[in-house]
Amino acid sequence: MLSRLVIVSAAGLKSSSPLGAGLVQASRSLHTSSQSLAPVPALPEKGGKVRHGIFPDEIFQLLYPKTGVTGPYMLGTGLLLYMLSKEIYVINHETFAAASIGAVIIYGVKKFGPSVAAFADKLNEEKVSKAQEVKDVAVASLAQAVEDEKKEQWRAEGRSMLFDAKRNNVAMLLETNFRERLHMVTNEVKRRLDYQVALQNLHIRMEQEHMINWVEKNVISSITPQQEKESIAKCITDLNALAKATQATAVA
Amino acid sequence: MAGRRVALKSVDWLAFAERVPPNQRSMFNALKTRSDAIAAKLNSLPEAPAAIDWSVYRSTVAKAGMVDEFEKKFKALVIPEPTDTQTSAINAQQAESNKSASVYIEGSKARIAQYEQELDKFKNMIPFDQMTIEDLNDTFPETKLDKVKYPYWPHKPIADL
Repeated sequence: MLSRLVIVSAAGLKSSSPLGAGLVQASRSLHTSSQSLAPVPALPEKGGKVRHGIFPDEIFQLLYPKTGVTGPYMLGTGLLLYMLSKEIYVINHETFAAASIGAVIIYGVKKFGPSVAAFADKLNEEKVSKAQEVKDVAVASLAQAVEDEKKEQWRAEGRSMLFDAKRNNVAMLLETNFRERLHMVTNEVKRRLDYQVALQNLHIRMEQEHMINWVEKNVISSITPQQEKESIAKCITDLNALAKATQATAVA
Repeated sequence: MAGRRVALKSVDWLAFAERVPPNQRSMFNALKTRSDAIAAKLNSLPEAPAAIDWSVYRSTVAKAGMVDEFEKKFKALVIPEPTDTQTSAINAQQAESNKSASVYIEGSKARIAQYEQELDKFKNMIPFDQMTIEDLNDTFPETKLDKVKYPYWPHKPIADL
């Protein structure tokens, strides 16, 4: 990987056009420090571009200016033939074993790779979504807490209403009390006046009764027995006369 | 002796009710009932008592000068107004409440600042799908593994797993 990085950075220095879309970090030119404050670029989703499953694309790009499009293949074939002819690399039983094992590995990767990758992605995504959920909950609860605090502040601002209400109550109580006193005074004065009137009426009635009694008593006591006899005799004669008169009218 | 008008500051009970915190609702209701009772009592009393018809009494009561004396003394009588002992207490209460409320609001503002700081941290952090483990450890220091204290995997007490 490190060797590849060297190649890449060399290519980057040579032609400023970005080569591998994947290797974002590595495609930056080395030995510069001005980007330390720049935001970190996103991590690459996929690996760099390769040809024939193993050879990095950058090698081809590096060789094209010098050799043309067949150059890399010529270089590879020449190297291989050179190693074989000078017996640097000897084809023996281990080569066949390596080829067989390699074939099996490639088959396994092609066959099971996508599903394993999907499974791994799913695990990762689950983890990330869980973390995201926690973060969302935390953000929502924080926003709610801020909202609540502001509401509490708004409520605390309303305390003057309470004291207005209390003062109103006191003022109303005082006024009620004052009015009650006024009413009490007026009613008491009125009652006393009524009492005077009633007393006066009582006096008048009692005087009248007393006078009647006194006159009656005096009249009765002034009557002598002689007068009484005379009056009874007079009554009897009157009754006789009356009786005769009624008899006469009844006969007639 | 004419009734004086009470200087009442009108209280918007609806707006007041909206501002009452739920845990003080019963106290608010008690205050409201009490105020309503007091207001009803005040409204039931007419401002000036029924005037005494002096001429009727003057013509009815025979004793000369008595009604005039009554009237003179009644007119001269000044009814003392009840003294207000509670307003100063309420003012003191309000001053105290202002003080505690301002302290509370200060605290509340500090709490809001703290919440907003945490919110900022959440809003400005690198999205989870672009984080490395180092980023995660920087953002949430509690996730950092203490490899000195627990040198073997999983680098934290088994009970915390």
